[in-house]
Amino acid sequence: MKNNNRAPLPGHLAGLEPLSRRGFLRASVLAGAALTSGCASLFGRKDAPETLQYYSLKPDEVDVITRLTEIMLPTERYGLPSSTTVVPTVKNIDIMAQRFPEQTRELLGLGIWVFNNRPMMSFKFKKFTSLSDAKALEYVNAMQEGAFFERGLMTTLKALIALNYWRDERTWPGLEYHGPVTETWGVRRLGNAPLPRA
Amino acid sequence: MAFVRVPRDGVPVTQAKDVALDPSLGKRFTLKTDVVVVGSGAAGSMVAYEMAKAGRDVLVLESGRYYPSSEFTEHLGDTMTKIYQDQVGQVNTTADIIFVQGACVGGSTVVGACVMEEPGDKVLDGWAEKYGLDALSAEKFRPYLDKVAEELQIHTNEAHEINACAHKVIQGCEKMQFSWKPAQRNVKQCALTGHCLAGCPSDRKMSSLVTHLPWASAYGARIFSDTEVIRVKTLDGRARGVEARIVDPDSGAHVADMNVDADMVVLAAGGIHTPLILQRSQVPDRSGQLGRNLAIQPFTQVLGKFKEPLYGFRGALVGVQVDEFTHTDGYTIFSGLAEPESLLAQGDMKAGQAHIEFMKDYKYYAGVNAFSKDLGNGYVKWDGDAYSGSKTIHYNPSREEFENMKASAALAARIFFSGGAEKVYLPTFQSLQANSVFELDEKMDKVDYGIKGMYTFRSNSFSPHGTCRMGADPYESVVSPTGEMHDTPGLFVADASLLPESMSAPIQWTVHALAKYVSDQINNNASNYFIS
Repeated sequence: MKNNNRAPLPGHLAGLEPLSRRGFLRASVLAGAALTSGCASLFGRKDAPETLQYYSLKPDEVDVITRLTEIMLPTERYGLPSSTTVVPTVKNIDIMAQRFPEQTRELLGLGIWVFNNRPMMSFKFKKFTSLSDAKALEYVNAMQEGAFFERGLMTTLKALIALNYWRDERTWPGLEYHGPVTETWGVRRLGNAPLPRA
Repeated sequence: MAFVRVPRDGVPVTQAKDVALDPSLGKRFTLKTDVVVVGSGAAGSMVAYEMAKAGRDVLVLESGRYYPSSEFTEHLGDTMTKIYQDQVGQVNTTADIIFVQGACVGGSTVVGACVMEEPGDKVLDGWAEKYGLDALSAEKFRPYLDKVAEELQIHTNEAHEINACAHKVIQGCEKMQFSWKPAQRNVKQCALTGHCLAGCPSDRKMSSLVTHLPWASAYGARIFSDTEVIRVKTLDGRARGVEARIVDPDSGAHVADMNVDADMVVLAAGGIHTPLILQRSQVPDRSGQLGRNLAIQPFTQVLGKFKEPLYGFRGALVGVQVDEFTHTDGYTIFSGLAEPESLLAQGDMKAGQAHIEFMKDYKYYAGVNAFSKDLGNGYVKWDGDAYSGSKTIHYNPSREEFENMKASAALAARIFFSGGAEKVYLPTFQSLQANSVFELDEKMDKVDYGIKGMYTFRSNSFSPHGTCRMGADPYESVVSPTGEMHDTPGLFVADASLLPESMSAPIQWTVHALAKYVSDQINNNASNYFIS
């Protein structure tokens, strides 16, 4: 059996080693990435969404989710990292969907299809992906105020997109959210609790 | 007794990658043990510790991965995809209620918000009387709760553990003359980072990762992660071990099949997965209650926007609780709000410019989680073959439960307005917000029960329970008062499934104590259960 225990550092350094090691590793990875791919790509993605490989989402699903991402998160107008060219929102969803239980994955596929193809008279029965920006936003808002299953579907898709954009730490400064603090504050690890007294 | 040393850091865990690299094990192997414990959360870790301490050979099987606390990044988005059940996508059949559970070594204790509350004496005495559970009466069960409090360092939040967000709840309560109190948590020297939901990297949360699992291990318990128990094996009607499969958590590759021969099986996989394992195992159940009586303690998050920046994501995640209605109506309201991802769990998050503006107001928000008591009418079901089938969680609020959720959310909104909020976002699938307390009732009236209450409130559950109800009558309960299945000797249940009916307090403390009680029952009758 493998033992995952690490030998503790002595004295006053005990408890600090895992965080220090992690910080070092993170810095090394970032530095390595910057050197090998060019600094310009460190905080941005070179690939356009259409050149990315998707392993779970089908091409037509990628189109719908990408379009919904553009409509829901028009980030560049507000000084935030782009939701399509900087933060890989759709790719993040693809990775997440890969690990969904089969039933959930099937439901998602059905939901995306329904969302794109749901005929609505106000939108001349066009697919969501064929609507202009203004009409597409109108459609999203109409779905949110629609029948119970429409608002359920809309909320689910929005949550998936929002979660996979705002989880990226490059978006946090725009919210004045500081993110992880334990390492920054130098909080010492306590390790395992001692055995209770008999 | 020999000197027992707990390692300072981490838990020895055999993972899928270790099994894959060990040629002596192969693709199919058998382990022998006295007790096999299924699940490593609040209940499983407690049973493992108590059994191992009593000198038993203990094997713990956890279906989730091992994520040592030294590797926590305080990044909720990443944590969700690694150690939350179904990446926080574990939902009911209509996908409008999320069942938030940890899926890792340590279970939900690793990702929970540390909130601890005892069941009241009236609740315990009620169980004793109604279900023939004399040992759970307040007088007899309280020592177990007290012992758990000592082991998990449960304490009442001090002044510095009550953040700006919680202070808004206090102000609102003071104005409304509602009773409130600082929440109780199992934290030692809390660093006030606000990242509880992503795990505690400095080991201040007294989760099973740093308490009962390393303690059990110090007494010799073996722990396997990435190991999903498919079914319980029986011989002549008695439990004799389990069949499990080991899967690589990253690639999903099937690494090996494990067969466990054991004198005793203890299921501690939680209120959803324990009954599913029993259903897959096709164990006898005279009561017909296996998987039924699912109570979920639904909660909704109400968000208030205040004039001044609160930075409510700083400080202890949960500061105070409103207990004015806990015993009269079953509503309990806890202050909350943490990572940006948490915002997306409440109400409508809008789209386009409105969404960006909503998010950019993050620092002005305070959140509360409004819990309500339900009637325990849900059920879980395994469909199909034991290996390739799937789970379904059936739960839709009845009209009464819907009204309870509505009332608790409305109370939370009223508290925020009294605390000075200029706007409150309601936790509904419709886009609803109230700009003053005078608009609140009118907005709430728009939330319609509709078709079976579907897609009305965006609700979540941290505490599914009741699906293997404990009781003296084998025609009304699944598990006997000792924790053993009525019709299958040697098969015990030790987790939230045991709770005989819906409760309104957070359940973790009760679950730890129940697991300790079940362990005592086994140890006190060891000669009946173990061959050696």
